[in-house]
Amino acid sequence: MSAQGPAGRRDDGREPLLVARDLTVAFQRDGGEVTAVDGFNLEIRAGEIVGLMGAPGSGKSTAALALTGLTRSTGQIRSGAVDFLGANILALPEERRRQLRGKGIGLITQNPRAALHPMLRVGAQLINVYRAHHGVDRETARRAAAQLLGRLGINDPERRLAAYPHELSTGMAQRFVIAMAVAGEPQLLIADEPTSGLDVTIQAQLLDQLWDGARATGSAVLLVTQDLGIVANYCDRVAVMHAGRVVETQTVGQFFAQPQHSYSRNILALLRSDPGAAGETAPARSAEIGDRPVLLQVKDLHKTFPLQHSAKVVQAVDRVSFQLRSGETFGLVGESGSGKTTVGRTLLHLEQPTGGEILFQGHPLHEMAERQLRPLRARMQIVFQDPMDSMDPRWTIEQVISEPLGLTELSATAKAARVQQLLQAVALPLELRAEKPRALSAGQRQRVAVARAMAPDPDFIVLDEPTSALTPETTVEMLSLLRRLQLDFGVSYLFISHDLATVRVLCHRIAVLYLGQVVETGAKEDIFAAPRHPYTRALLASHLYPELENRRVDRAVRETLKGEVPSPVDLPSGCYLYGRCPMQRERCRSEPQELTRIEEDRAVRCWRVGEGEI
Amino acid sequence: MVSTRSGASVSSRLTAVRSVAVYVGQRARHDGLFLFGLLVALTVLFLALFGELLAPYDPREATANVGMPPPPLKDWPQLAYRALTGQLDAAPHWFGTDFYGLDVFSRVISAPRTDVSIALGGALVSLLLGTGLGLVAGFYRNWATGLLVRASDVLQSFPVFITAMVLVALSGRHTGNIVLALCLVYTPIFLRLTRAEVMGQARHGYVEAARAAGVRPWIIAWRHVLPNSLVPALIQLSVTIGFAIILTAGLSFVGAGVQPPTPEWGLMISQGAGDLNYGWWWPSVFPGLAISITVLGFAALGHVLEEAFR
Repeated sequence: MSAQGPAGRRDDGREPLLVARDLTVAFQRDGGEVTAVDGFNLEIRAGEIVGLMGAPGSGKSTAALALTGLTRSTGQIRSGAVDFLGANILALPEERRRQLRGKGIGLITQNPRAALHPMLRVGAQLINVYRAHHGVDRETARRAAAQLLGRLGINDPERRLAAYPHELSTGMAQRFVIAMAVAGEPQLLIADEPTSGLDVTIQAQLLDQLWDGARATGSAVLLVTQDLGIVANYCDRVAVMHAGRVVETQTVGQFFAQPQHSYSRNILALLRSDPGAAGETAPARSAEIGDRPVLLQVKDLHKTFPLQHSAKVVQAVDRVSFQLRSGETFGLVGESGSGKTTVGRTLLHLEQPTGGEILFQGHPLHEMAERQLRPLRARMQIVFQDPMDSMDPRWTIEQVISEPLGLTELSATAKAARVQQLLQAVALPLELRAEKPRALSAGQRQRVAVARAMAPDPDFIVLDEPTSALTPETTVEMLSLLRRLQLDFGVSYLFISHDLATVRVLCHRIAVLYLGQVVETGAKEDIFAAPRHPYTRALLASHLYPELENRRVDRAVRETLKGEVPSPVDLPSGCYLYGRCPMQRERCRSEPQELTRIEEDRAVRCWRVGEGEI
Repeated sequence: MVSTRSGASVSSRLTAVRSVAVYVGQRARHDGLFLFGLLVALTVLFLALFGELLAPYDPREATANVGMPPPPLKDWPQLAYRALTGQLDAAPHWFGTDFYGLDVFSRVISAPRTDVSIALGGALVSLLLGTGLGLVAGFYRNWATGLLVRASDVLQSFPVFITAMVLVALSGRHTGNIVLALCLVYTPIFLRLTRAEVMGQARHGYVEAARAAGVRPWIIAWRHVLPNSLVPALIQLSVTIGFAIILTAGLSFVGAGVQPPTPEWGLMISQGAGDLNYGWWWPSVFPGLAISITVLGFAALGHVLEEAFR
């Protein structure tokens, strides 16, 4: 592969496996008809991995589904042909098509929970698929299913077969869906955003297995995604969809070097315009922040949630300490269940801390009652993850933005003027004042949420995954907006995110959280340049950058974590990463780890790092 | 803030009213069910206000004609023409007269004043009480509000009709008592509905956002949670008005409602039931039809409201 360069395999004259010609799918909606897929053409050759890219609403999921002759709800395939193994799928009788699905073409959908029957054991569902395709008896199918699950990285597969879908994490459920899709050993696998909503380490695990499996069996994969990182790291070719048709098909190498269509060029340019490199939006180096006054001091913050009908507790946050200087952005990085959101909520008294100290400008927030705290709320604000959910759907944008102004002494006219000023500050047109949140795009809504947080001129804002509901384009805009506001108003941010790319742009210092504990903390540049803790290393290695150098599939060692995050109710007795860590020793099993300072402003929770072993 | 908010909301309310009017107009043109419900509701409300003034005879005074059947349908156009041009000495008895010589038509169109005012009163008071208590019970969840919900469960577990009958029997057959009986029956329904919705709405991010903005909890409940929780209760209101009319009429039918000779549909059916022995169907069938059409109309309206809000 290295001889061919990072572009992966080229057009090697192989016979096409599937050819879609002029496919058109229309939906009935409100009496009218909406054409979602309009003259779709695509060729997939045996054994290659094709990325199907496109903005939301470009029809990529509908097109991928239509390749198997299926549509959702009111959709109808109006015209076109899909040649697969010498026959037009769309012209086959339904019974023949049904046999083809699973055995010829496997399908992996976006939401694994919806793809599994909620009332049947996952084992029964998988065994049924196996029997349907191979005509073997139940016991043979069970053994084969267990083997397949083992290959997909599921520990103790026999026990997992007896589970119901609701007992599985989303990542585990998706593994079962993948297992069901590959059980028939299809020649083509259609995967519709198979890892959306999954954590990056799990995403890397699953995509690695998918890629390895496809290469081992020589089956082709159509990977529907809007993530250029996935395209760059796993695909051989890429097809870009816009307004219901394929507007560009290229090898991955050519695509990243010379994108043809304007959509491709725009999105690549945007992702490459590192806001960190562009003059005024450059984050100041941590050293410049160093001597600014400390705004917020968090010491041994602790938060547990009681479990219903049980004496046990969920440990959400475990002795987290950090400090935030004025004008600084501190990043809390972690995957789901790491407690990062809980930390942010506890700081603002949206949850009561179980223990620890929070000093904000000298005020001990942890021992203040809501009534005493209220005047301070003007100085600390929050931007929530889901902008739509965080606004009263009946209110106008002006009302939404001016709500925190109730904390100020401003007159009515001054408030109206302030709202105008804020809308300008977040670059939204003033006409939006009278609109309801529903009328805005996701990006505009999140700008409104930022304007609302800025309204009482706070010193400190918690940004709780502010870009996770946004498309890649609006994410870049949002990050430069946040950076500009920080430079203009000197506001400090606690930036909570699972997305390392956004953290790299915005933060000065970061703490990496795993199961409620800080596993590594330090200056952003240092951590990104040389991660020390095995978890941080795996997290950074799992992040899929939209670059062709050092593709994940080309690496000799793909640093990754095994298995799933353990339940926060039954935590391991030693290191919390024990069992998943690629660098573990016997000592890690029983020895709880402490956060150890290894340099000025750098601490790691791993004895092997502390003793200089890694 | 008060003046900007009210200033903004007056204009937004005006546009809201206009858009509702436009919606109603469009919907009525295309949707027969909605048109039917709307016409029934408007007619019944109109009759509640002016029915007695339009009645050709005093609904409480007997005429000399006893047990007179309604004129055959084919004569109605001619009769109407002659009545309107003043060629008749006395207005025709469109729906006939009953055993006492009371004009059935006059009584049918006068009855909404009693039926609708009792049903509307009962339903509206239940709505206010139920949503208020539901808001409190859903927003502040502690032992006291828990007790409230259990108490309303106990009330709901009695058969509707028996509860109302016992209540009226104990406290007398006054209009106020009948309204009270309706409230006891319908308040728990609104309480449950609103509480469930409030509990759902309180999980939304805008409640947290308001807390982070320093808004006091009871203001959050009033300003954000209540307006967003009203839809199920408003849909239920229309259906409840229909059922409250049946219940009011039913109470009169068994003798636990208003006193004769008040014009009231249930009472008329009850008294007309005896007339069936003579083969006189008209004293009971016409008020029966009136009840059926009214209840169907309000139910249709509730159905349409439900679709409109979804």
